[in-house]
Order: sequence, then C-alpha cells, then structure tokens
Amino acid sequence: MRRLVGILLVTLLVLATSWCLAAVNNPEWWQKAAEPYKGVVIRGISESTPPSKAMVEVAAPEFEKLTGIKVEFEVTSWDEMYNKSIQDLQSGAGIYDFIYVEQDIIYAYLAQNWLTSLNSFIDNPSITHPEFDLPDFTSFINYFKDANENIYGIPFEAFLKSYIYRTDLFNDPGIQAAFKAKYGYDLAVPTTWEQYTDIAKFFTEYGKEKGVELYGHIAQAKTHPCVAYEMVETIWPAWGVYNWGINLEKMRASVENGGTLNSEQAKKAFRWYVDMLQYAPPGVRTYTWDETGAVFGAGKIAQGIIYLENLGWIAGDPTRSAVIDKIAVALPPTAPGVMDEAKAGKGYIGYYDGGSLGIPHSAKNKEAAWLFIQWCMRKEWQGEFAKMATRVVRTSTFDDPLVKELDAKTGGYFTMLKDSGYLFAGAPALPMHRPLNEVYLKWISKAVAGEISPEDALDSLAKEVDQLMEDLGY
Amino acid sequence: MKEDKKQVWGLIAPALFIMILIGVIPVLYIIYLSAFKYNVFAKVPMRYAGFDNFRKLVFDPDFLKSLRLGLTFVALCCGIELPLGLFIANLLTLNFKGKGIFRTILTLPLAMAPITIGSMWVLITNPDFGPVPFLFRKIGIEYNMGISANQAFFTTILVDLWHWTPFVVLTFMAGLSSLPNQPYEAALVDGATRWQTFRYVTIPLLKPVILTTLFIRIMDTFRVFDEVWMLTSGGPGTATRYVSIHLVRLVLQSMEYGYSSAMSLFLLYLTIIICFFLLTFISSSREAA
Repeated sequence: MRRLVGILLVTLLVLATSWCLAAVNNPEWWQKAAEPYKGVVIRGISESTPPSKAMVEVAAPEFEKLTGIKVEFEVTSWDEMYNKSIQDLQSGAGIYDFIYVEQDIIYAYLAQNWLTSLNSFIDNPSITHPEFDLPDFTSFINYFKDANENIYGIPFEAFLKSYIYRTDLFNDPGIQAAFKAKYGYDLAVPTTWEQYTDIAKFFTEYGKEKGVELYGHIAQAKTHPCVAYEMVETIWPAWGVYNWGINLEKMRASVENGGTLNSEQAKKAFRWYVDMLQYAPPGVRTYTWDETGAVFGAGKIAQGIIYLENLGWIAGDPTRSAVIDKIAVALPPTAPGVMDEAKAGKGYIGYYDGGSLGIPHSAKNKEAAWLFIQWCMRKEWQGEFAKMATRVVRTSTFDDPLVKELDAKTGGYFTMLKDSGYLFAGAPALPMHRPLNEVYLKWISKAVAGEISPEDALDSLAKEVDQLMEDLGY
Repeated sequence: MKEDKKQVWGLIAPALFIMILIGVIPVLYIIYLSAFKYNVFAKVPMRYAGFDNFRKLVFDPDFLKSLRLGLTFVALCCGIELPLGLFIANLLTLNFKGKGIFRTILTLPLAMAPITIGSMWVLITNPDFGPVPFLFRKIGIEYNMGISANQAFFTTILVDLWHWTPFVVLTFMAGLSSLPNQPYEAALVDGATRWQTFRYVTIPLLKPVILTTLFIRIMDTFRVFDEVWMLTSGGPGTATRYVSIHLVRLVLQSMEYGYSSAMSLFLLYLTIIICFFLLTFISSSREAA
C-alpha cells in the first residue's frame, strides 16, 4: 500500500512538473541562459497597475522557480515610483536593475542618458530567446526608440483611454424612449461632444428622478497630476488641441508664440470640462485615475472616458465589478474635423497609454534583468497576461483564444485597439514633461476648484509654460 | 588636562561625525544649490545664479500664498490646541468615573502614523460615502472637500487638532502635576475663586510649560505634510497648499532643486527667528518664575 502511494505521488509530481514546463516554451533555454546569473537578486520598480501586479504575482515567481534568479519587484504609487526611479537614475546608485519607463517620460530619460540601449542584448543569442520576435511587437514599441532606432524599453502594457458605457442602460427601451422624447434623437454612442453632454445630463437627471445613484459623467478631477493628464491626453486632443497645446518646433504654448494652449478651442474645451463636473458624482473632485475605474465598476456611471486597463476586472471580476456583461467600449466623441485629421495622421483623438520595462544605465545586473524582461513579454504568456491586465503589446496576442473571448466580454475592446489604435497617440516628445505637468496641474486645478475662470487659467498657463521652456533652455 | 581633553574629543567624535554627516553637510549642500538655477530636466541643468533664487522668492505669488496659508494654519492650530489642551488637562486633574479610559482613548491618536490618520480621514470625509458628509447632508449642509476651499482648509485644521491636542494635554498634565502646593494654599487662604486661582496662580506657574509646548507645536504645524497630503494633496486648487506641500511639489515634481533650496533656507531662517523669540521669552519667563 505504502509503495502504491509512493508511486502515485511520484507520478503526480512528474505530471505537475511537466505541466509547469508545458506553460513555457523551451524551458531548457531559459535555464541555460540564466545559469551564469543563478542566485543573483534583481530589483525592479513599477507603478501599482494591473499589468505590474500580474508580473509581480505570476511572472516573477515562475521566473524565479525556473531560473534561480531572484526578483524583488516593488509596485508602488505613481508618484512614489517616479521619485524612487528618478533618484536612482540621477544618483547612479544602481538600486534598480529594471524600471518602469512610462511612454511619456521616455524622452526625459533619453535626454539624460539614463537608460541602457537594449540592442546589444537583443543581438546576443546567448541571452535573447530565439522566439523573442521583435517584429511581433505592435507599433507601440516605437515610442521607446531613439532617433537612431536604438531600443530602450520593451513594452509590457499598452492600452487606450477611451469611451466606455453601460449597454444595459443604453439598450433599455424605457430609457431610449425617455431620451428620444427629451432630446429628439435616438440614444446611442455619442460621436460629438454635444451628444455626450446630452447623455450625461440625461442620466444624471434620470438617477435623481429614480432615486438611484447614477451619473452621466466621470472625470479624474482631483488636485493631482491626473487632472492635468486628463486635459492634455484626453479632452484637448478630442477637441483638436494636440501636443499639450505646445508648438513642438518652437517649444512654446501661447497663441502669441505659435502654440494653441490658450486658443479659443482650448478654452472652449476646458470650459466644457469644468462645467461637466456637475453631471459627475459629488466626489469627482477627489477622484484620480484609480477612483474613476472603481466608481464605474461599482455601477454608478452610465458613460465616461477612462483608462481601459481597468476593463479586465470591470468586465470579469464579480468580486469587484457590478457591471459584468453590461458594458461596451467605443471611440470617444470628437469635435468637428478631429476624426478626419486623426485618420489622415495629422492629429489624434485620445491617449494610447502604456509603459515598458527598461534597464537603468547604472543597473548592476543588466543581463539578468534582460532575461526577466523577456520572460514577462514571452509570446506564450501574452494571452493570459492580457486577461489579467487588459493590455496587448504583441500583434500575435490579438489572435490568442483568451483575448478573443475577452474581446466579446469587454464589448469589443481588443478589436478597437487593433483596428482603431492608430487614431490614438502617446505623449508628445517633451523631455521636460515632469516640471511641465506641475505647471499644468497648478492652473488647471485652480480653475477646477473655481479659484479662477478656465479662460484666465489658460492665459496664465500658456504664459508660464513659455517662461518655463525658456528657463529650461528650450 | 590635555589627556582629558583628548578623551572628551574621542568620546564625542562618533556623535559629532554623524551629526556633521547628516546635519551639517546637507545644509551646506543646500546653501550651495541655492546659488544655482538647477533643474534636472533643463538643457543646461546647472548654472550659477547668485542671489536670483532668493530674489525670486519675494515676488513669487505662489510661494507667498503658500506661506500665508501655512502661517494661518500654524496660528489657528496652535491657537486652538493650547487652550483646548489646557482645559482638558485641567479636567483630568479632577477625579471622575472612567477617567482612566478617557485618558487612554484621548492619547490613542498619538500612537498612529500621520499617513494612516490622513487615509482614515479621507474615508471619513469622502463626499460619496463618508459618514461626515452624510451626517451634514442630513441637516441640510453640503459638505464636500473637493469643492469647498474653506471646508478643506478647516478639515485639515480639525484633523491636526484631533491628532495633536492629546500631546498638548499630556505635556500640560505633566506640568500641572509638578506645580508646588503652597501658592494654591495661599490662594485658598486669601479666598480666591477657582477662576482667580487658575488665572493668577496656575497660568503664571505653567508659563514655561505652555511656551515650550507652543514652541514644539509651532515647528510641527509649520512643517505639516503627511495628513494634508493624504487628505487634499494641497487642493482643491491651492486652498490647502501649505508651504511644506508647496516645497515638496517643487522638489519632487518640478525638480527645481536650486529654487527649492533657496526656499528651504528661507523657511529654515524663518523657523530659527520664531524659535529664537520664543526661547528668549521662555528664558525670561523662567527667570521671572
């Protein structure tokens, strides 16, 4: 009997091991490549986002188990992540072996030569997996290249900030009839800001009338960098004000100096943004990007524009979401002409957000870190990774059965990402991004709080941006 | 004698070395940086600016506003915490049932980290589901820190009172328990009322303790950060952007190392001046006592 149990246990162990190895293509290669670094501890830092959590909770433990390289991966708040990364990069202390390089900060890091070019690693077959397949990455990887096509970061997250709405409410015949009676046209996904405003107003009033907690709009309006990002990434582009309102050739923002930051269109859009807060929940001015996802997931919002990295849990986690099978996504509304400009490549309608893992110039275990970066982006894990974190960085991931299944559940998000992703854009090349954001935050939050009118805020902001650019030598 | 001196220097050398390393050198470095225009993200990161950064301070409306807000915060917090603390400390000299429990509960906030207190109050005052806005709404008052600058400002004061009044109570209780009995006996013989005894005996005797507590609280409230950062991040707008918050944003977000060094030095100077006057006052009151 004892012998039988023993045989059974050994069989189970063999099966379990082979199952584990089956989830990894060519495990022997990983073990061999990692052999010289066995026992090494690599340290990394990232923002506490769903993709980072997936890497910490799933990818890192598996990597450790297979290679013997220990991963200490810190996920923390956005500001803390930047403070720690920049201090390490600036001092050259070499605390981190890999860091989160967000798309909008890459220009600042490159200008300071803070990152290691990954080309020499990619060209080295002893530490680059034969199936790494660089051309398989979506065009998002181009944001992490310098002018000479050197790569400084491998994307691990890429997603859109776009329109999301409640299908159960939009398809309700009673609501549809009430909307048509009030506004004279059918309730549908808005394509203009006027339609969006009508829908926002309608649902907020509907919530009040019915005594339910339902609002027609959501925003990240806290006195926090997020409010500035919302304007420059989402609102202004869809109103036709691109590149943060900055003329990238002259590096000036005011209309007088060739920018568009205090243009009539920018002011109109900003006035609209401030006015619309009345249709959002009372606490909207305390919301950051975290709360917008959470409040939508709680079922309190009929429509809004949010970071769609949250879609995974909103669409599929019953412990957190009250709107499973009740949501769909679409392109955001735009001002007249903006969509045509985006299609022609002369503008963009919203933000293609994301980040990569890069290796600091001062990292002490660069090769081991490179192995881990590849591990997180290996093809066979991308479907599961997308399921956990609603992100796609490889074109082949779109064909993964898990992603196809998720596409239906998220109301066509992955199809939209694949087919219409080109209409969105990452942040412009502004190496002074961080101090710039602080100036935007100051004036935008003043207007959001009612200390100053949106129009006056933009005049002051444009003036201060010009001055900052001059002070910084641009 | 020479041997003794050597021994003394040998004994204090480690402490002195650490103090220089973590106290003096950073200050010297800040003095050095304050003479430069230094932003990490500038095309030319560092260039000599002389006293330009200090000149800029005088004309910087954002800095002046944050300084004014910070000083108002200090004045209101200290102005309420000290009388309130003295009142509670006096109450605790009386014997009543449940005094021990009351005293324990009172001191609990002191055991909590400021960042935890900030997070806790964020939940309590959350406009969507917090109990405070809910209760205010019940009596017809709209309480929303995201919208009302005044509400945000007074909430930060309230949180500071909640957190630090127990500290004031403790110091006053220690002070009260160490007062001599004779002046009280004399006041009793002279037929003084309770108020007169408090006004003419307790307050003068407690003056050094009051001033020392004030001294500590001024320094603490002037550099308040964690609770306010968690609660409002300086908003709405700039309503609670106290000087400490303004400085942190300037260093960590704007990376204006030169200008923020000048600002730090100015604030250090201001704190030293305030402390100097208070210490002089404390010394003279001690001599008078």
